[in-house]
Amino acid sequence: MTPFEYLRAGDPGEAVAAVAGRPGAAFLGGGTNLVDHMKLGVAGPDLLVDVSRLPLDRVEETAGGLRVGAAVRNSDLAAHPLVRERYPVLARALLSGASGQLRNVATTAGNLLQRTRCPYFQDVTTPCNKRVPGSGCSAIGGYTRYHAILGASEHCVATHPSDMAVAMAALDAVVVVLGPGGERRLPIGELYRLPGDAPQRDTVLEHGDLITAVELPHLPAARRSAYRKVRDRASFSFALVSVAAVLDLDGDAVRDVRLALGGVAHKPWRAARAEEALRGGPATEDAFRRAADAELAGARPLPGNEFKVAMTRGVVVAALRDLAEEGR
Amino acid sequence: MSVAPARAPRDIAAPGGGGVGDSALRPDGVLKVRGEFAYSSDLWIDGMLWGATLRSPHPRAKILSIDTSEALAHPGVWTVLTHEDVPGRKHFGVDHTWDQPVLAFDEVRHQGEPIALVAADHPETARRALEKIRIEYEVLEPLTDARRAAFDPAYPRVQPRGNVARHQPVRVGDVDAARELAEVVVSGEFQVGMQDQAFLGPESGLAIPAEDGGVDLYVATQWMHNDLEQIGPCLGLAEDKIRMTLSGVGGAFGGREDLSMQIHAAMLALRTGKPVKIVYNRYESFFGHVHRHPAQMRYEYGATKDGRIVYADVEIILDGGAYTSSTKNVVGNAASLAVGPYVIPNVRIDAYGVYTNNPPCGAMRGFGAVQACFAFESMMDRLADACGLDPVTVRQVNAAAEGSALATGQIIWAPLPMAEMLQTARELPMPAPADTGDLRDLPGGVSQTTHGEGVRRGVGYGVGLKNICFSEGYDDYSTARVRLEVIGGEPVAMVHTAAAEVGQGLVTLEAQIARTELGVRRVVIQPADNRVGDAGSSSASRQSYMTGGAVMTACQAVREGMAALAAARFGHARDDLSFTGDKVVSESAGVLGTIAELLGDAVIEETREYHHRPTTGMDPVTGRGDSHAQLALCVHRAVVDVDVDLGLVKVVELAAVQDVGRILNRVALEGQIHGGSAQGLGLAVMEEIVVENGRVRNPSFTDYLIPTILDMPPMRLEILENADPRAPYGLRGAGEPSTLSSTPAIVAAIRDATGLALTRVPVRPEHITGSS
Repeated sequence: MTPFEYLRAGDPGEAVAAVAGRPGAAFLGGGTNLVDHMKLGVAGPDLLVDVSRLPLDRVEETAGGLRVGAAVRNSDLAAHPLVRERYPVLARALLSGASGQLRNVATTAGNLLQRTRCPYFQDVTTPCNKRVPGSGCSAIGGYTRYHAILGASEHCVATHPSDMAVAMAALDAVVVVLGPGGERRLPIGELYRLPGDAPQRDTVLEHGDLITAVELPHLPAARRSAYRKVRDRASFSFALVSVAAVLDLDGDAVRDVRLALGGVAHKPWRAARAEEALRGGPATEDAFRRAADAELAGARPLPGNEFKVAMTRGVVVAALRDLAEEGR
Repeated sequence: MSVAPARAPRDIAAPGGGGVGDSALRPDGVLKVRGEFAYSSDLWIDGMLWGATLRSPHPRAKILSIDTSEALAHPGVWTVLTHEDVPGRKHFGVDHTWDQPVLAFDEVRHQGEPIALVAADHPETARRALEKIRIEYEVLEPLTDARRAAFDPAYPRVQPRGNVARHQPVRVGDVDAARELAEVVVSGEFQVGMQDQAFLGPESGLAIPAEDGGVDLYVATQWMHNDLEQIGPCLGLAEDKIRMTLSGVGGAFGGREDLSMQIHAAMLALRTGKPVKIVYNRYESFFGHVHRHPAQMRYEYGATKDGRIVYADVEIILDGGAYTSSTKNVVGNAASLAVGPYVIPNVRIDAYGVYTNNPPCGAMRGFGAVQACFAFESMMDRLADACGLDPVTVRQVNAAAEGSALATGQIIWAPLPMAEMLQTARELPMPAPADTGDLRDLPGGVSQTTHGEGVRRGVGYGVGLKNICFSEGYDDYSTARVRLEVIGGEPVAMVHTAAAEVGQGLVTLEAQIARTELGVRRVVIQPADNRVGDAGSSSASRQSYMTGGAVMTACQAVREGMAALAAARFGHARDDLSFTGDKVVSESAGVLGTIAELLGDAVIEETREYHHRPTTGMDPVTGRGDSHAQLALCVHRAVVDVDVDLGLVKVVELAAVQDVGRILNRVALEGQIHGGSAQGLGLAVMEEIVVENGRVRNPSFTDYLIPTILDMPPMRLEILENADPRAPYGLRGAGEPSTLSSTPAIVAAIRDATGLALTRVPVRPEHITGSS
């Protein structure tokens, strides 16, 4: 661990100014990801600006939706009655992430911005374009079981590790960002980047940008929603693949559908092609499978993670089938 | 003598009471649950320095130069040591192998190999100083192919003496002739991944330099005297200059049989003249101990149509990694138990332990028998299928029993009711179908993954045969000193051994034995140290047998002394006298008086060594030999639910039938069987150190997965007590057998549910779903 200074910000503006003014500064939320990385030598900020105690820890009702403060702990968000009622997909995604102890500490914004669990990213003795731009990607040709099958590049095949963000992607959440130039609102679909030739950047945020809240829009259909995750043990492990699904039926037809995938890409992957294939069509298992195949036609698995294609199809079909049955 | 550190081990006054057969409470239990138990990582003494270890990032490289000057100049650093500073012998190694450098020179042979040490006044300072040590490497392509290491003479050598640490054949009858007789032939290739012991207490300890030029070592280990045999020569110190005390051990499972930080901390303490503490973090711990040998195994069995095996042709390759560690003995176990508890008239077994640049492997619970058990039990299921028999029947048809011979020719001398145990396992009630109202009961658990659709149930059996105590001619005796005197008006027995309590409950058992043998209520277990004779290792399921035996015989000697006093005092014949509840009792006349009155100021102290029956080595050509001191058997029945669409497994129930000879403490015993079964479950469905080109890819408990309480099902236990007449109280070691049989039982159950071949553990979701 490299030496660092610590500052507890008094308000969001002060926090933004403190980080923006120093290239080596970083925001500290729950610390469950950043502090690990500092110990491993993956991150070495010279100033930590603690934003975990700013008054950003409330869940507020908006017109049919919710505004979730950036510092709301994962456990609290999962347990919130309105989240459970309006967005069960989000509660379930949160509860299938990490462990109870970690969820008690981890924050909403920190969860959105957690970095990949790629073993090469974490091992400072190996090249990694995400950690050291231009050094190369060790995962390509290496151990790829947890790596991307969609949207990867020749520079990076890492996946985004969050469960919560997958649910938020399906819900079309909006991220409220306070930057040195003021506040702006960013649809979650625009927050995350694909790796391209700059995998060191997970998001479009600039240095000094602070997420202050996440807005969940009015979405009555989300009352029938689900999150499913395939992983190596029953709790406390990252997704091999996961799916967040919202299904709105009109009789036996699909009026609307939202699908996002986890564990398959550099970002929570909104399955737009699958949604398009389903919208207006029949809610049958055949249709679900065809829709999944439409999305996965673009999959480019690596040697060692080919299984993710079939597994993703399986979990998408299972989630939709279950929601369809619930709706009948 | 130096001052003892704070939070060092203290006498454990065993509470409650209870003799042999009672579920006596463990003295460390409440402390551990409340977080008050002092582990070796809690050791503290004022003024101590912190040691840290620089390790190789490369699995194979030449060391061209080491420059420590910048690290030495770092503020707060007291010393930086390399191989040049090792005072004595430059190599160590468990089991007298002496091939592992204390600090690497010329070459590094595995990722994480220690190269240099730093002592500093703060652990973070020490770590920063490590980053300032400059090492020039010539990086070489690691040699990681165990099969080539075994058979390809052109493969470069990891060790100058060759790449095969041991080849142990076993030959019985004539396999080629028997092949002609076989009506059914089944074969398979099986693999076992590298499992970690996953103990929770990281390697840690404290070295305090002493005025006599020696050192006091407080460490968490499995075998102090074997540590000492290595530490002494490496430090260039006579053994009496090294005083070792066992500190709180946070689990071991074989992973503490090899040295880790012991010599390093002592070197730093002797150089600086200050106490030095070393604690590994979790990442470092994955490189700080040996793991279970990964195995590649080829099996072929021939049988008659009724399922009787007529021959077995077996090849086992165990990857020992860069250094020998326990590999030779692991090979001996794998070879002698390669076909398990089955009677097979013609056998050809070749077991190899090889050197590669993969992480070193050595002792882990089950010790070579685990790998073989997965293969031979998988073969038994294949044979059942081929013969149209059910898996229990095919095992019963070929089952060994008392009087039959192992593949080594050793005759089984004690009851081995395997066929009956299988019957018992089969007849246990089956668990109810999955309750789809509770997702925790379904594959994937709380991930909401499965809602009951596509879930298939399967049932599988596994039988494990484990050797107890050290084998192949090793005299792994134990020593106990028992002292009886009156303290505070009560008779108190003090039991002193060097045996390591590693969490298995040994100190509880020692006290139970002392109470039973001496008839006193108060027993104090003194800290384990090397001021008493060797107790051997807390491994091979041997401490109840060996140290239990030593405590029993030492207590019996003390009782003889008491009986002599009592006979003189009360004028009764010795065989009319007994001792119970702190009282002297006559068979004919009832209570004669108290033990306290009898003893007065007298002190009775006796020290005894306990040896098991001698064993012999295995013949290097035929494998013949009476190589095992004791055998223990466990049968598992596993019931699983498998989501075949998503590849998820829920182990619904594990039932175990184990013969323990005699139950000494039921609660502790059940804990051992539960724990062993859980470790076997881990190997079956999730645990593996992922090694890619010699490098570990998951050195954390976030990435190396062990079962949680949601993964481990309830267990049903049937415990049998068929005494081994040679063992104290008739007991059989119970720590390991369940670790063997639970893995193949679970995999067999998954096969039953899916129809898949599943030849490798751990079984991953993708092995069930396939890739298309």
